[in-house]
Amino acid sequence: MIQPLRKTHRAIFLVLAILLPALFLSGIAFRHSWPGIKPKQVPAARARR
Amino acid sequence: MSHQYQAIGWNRQKRFYDWTVIAGVFIYVGLFVGLSAFLFPYATAETMIIRAAGSAAFLLLHVVLCIGPLCRLDSRFLPLLYNRRHLGVVTFLLGAFHGVFGIIQFHSLGDTDPLVSLLTSNQNFQSLPDFPFQQLGFLALLILFLMAATSHDFWLRNLTPPVWKSLHMLVYVAYALLIGHVTLGVLQSETSPVLVIATALGLATVLGLHVAAARQERKVDTTKPTTVPSGFVDACAVANIPEKCAAVCSVNGERVAVFKYDGKISAISNVCRHQNGPLGEGKIIDGCVTCPWHGYQYLPDTGASPPPFTEKVSTFQTKIVNGRVWIHQKPNPPGTRIEPSQIPGSEVHA
Repeated sequence: MIQPLRKTHRAIFLVLAILLPALFLSGIAFRHSWPGIKPKQVPAARARR
Repeated sequence: MSHQYQAIGWNRQKRFYDWTVIAGVFIYVGLFVGLSAFLFPYATAETMIIRAAGSAAFLLLHVVLCIGPLCRLDSRFLPLLYNRRHLGVVTFLLGAFHGVFGIIQFHSLGDTDPLVSLLTSNQNFQSLPDFPFQQLGFLALLILFLMAATSHDFWLRNLTPPVWKSLHMLVYVAYALLIGHVTLGVLQSETSPVLVIATALGLATVLGLHVAAARQERKVDTTKPTTVPSGFVDACAVANIPEKCAAVCSVNGERVAVFKYDGKISAISNVCRHQNGPLGEGKIIDGCVTCPWHGYQYLPDTGASPPPFTEKVSTFQTKIVNGRVWIHQKPNPPGTRIEPSQIPGSEVHA
């Protein structure tokens, strides 16, 4: 790859290496539902009381 | 390598590559739909197909993005690079399938135009969990379309390699948009951690490989060769260049490939005219420097492709002093013949 393109490529990846994990982590942190955590269910017996 | 227009210059390797990709896509989609039908029996067929095509496109884009750095780190991955553009086109087709079926399912049943509905139905740009993720996917699809449409060598020649390469660097913008599309879309409602972990692993792999390859490349660029007033720089030791192969060194920020063949040394630009491939990682086959990416060939002493081809790269003057190769810093115009330097004591091999 020629030098200017190589520098552009490096700059792009420096930005992406910061931006994408930040986007991904904030997207997961502010999501409506969390993975693996199911809403609490009230046992039927207790609910009847 | 071709001197006339051909839609696709088919050969055995290309056919094998493409059939493997097509078979891989069908197996993936089949497995995805089969497993989904088993795990989520209430999901509609349309939903399963939309998800299968979308996830296949996303997965394939990861593969496409990993091939470049893998080849820089280990030349054994070079065969994957050969038809990377075909992978890109398949990625676009799968993405288009996902997009079109998604628009039909979610935006075509109202009284608004489906495209208008896609672009205007959700405008919660301030909310991360409710962000209009479909617009991000649409933008990424437009970029992938632009790249797929210009992927042919016809466009490469007409746009010139630097412009074409810059245009195709938009793939990173498309990737960023798709990470947003997935994170703010399906991952917002998905309660299983599998997709979250898979996306995180994919992102870490792409970023990690590119950072590792960039670190390796930087070493070559930052090595400062010894320069003498006559304009020659110390490139490498003759003994360190394998026969019919090259050593790559950096001269004034540009890379030069120093080839050893038949008891002679010649230096040419490391950048192939076709797609900026690394000529120094190629070999001399049938007397020609052969690019490892797509097989474009150049004569080592002139930097010109053998007739009837017209591609030319810059050549550099060389001399051998005390077993080391010295290269003149100033490149000669592409195609200029430079007498190869004779390796002392090698006349018997010539």
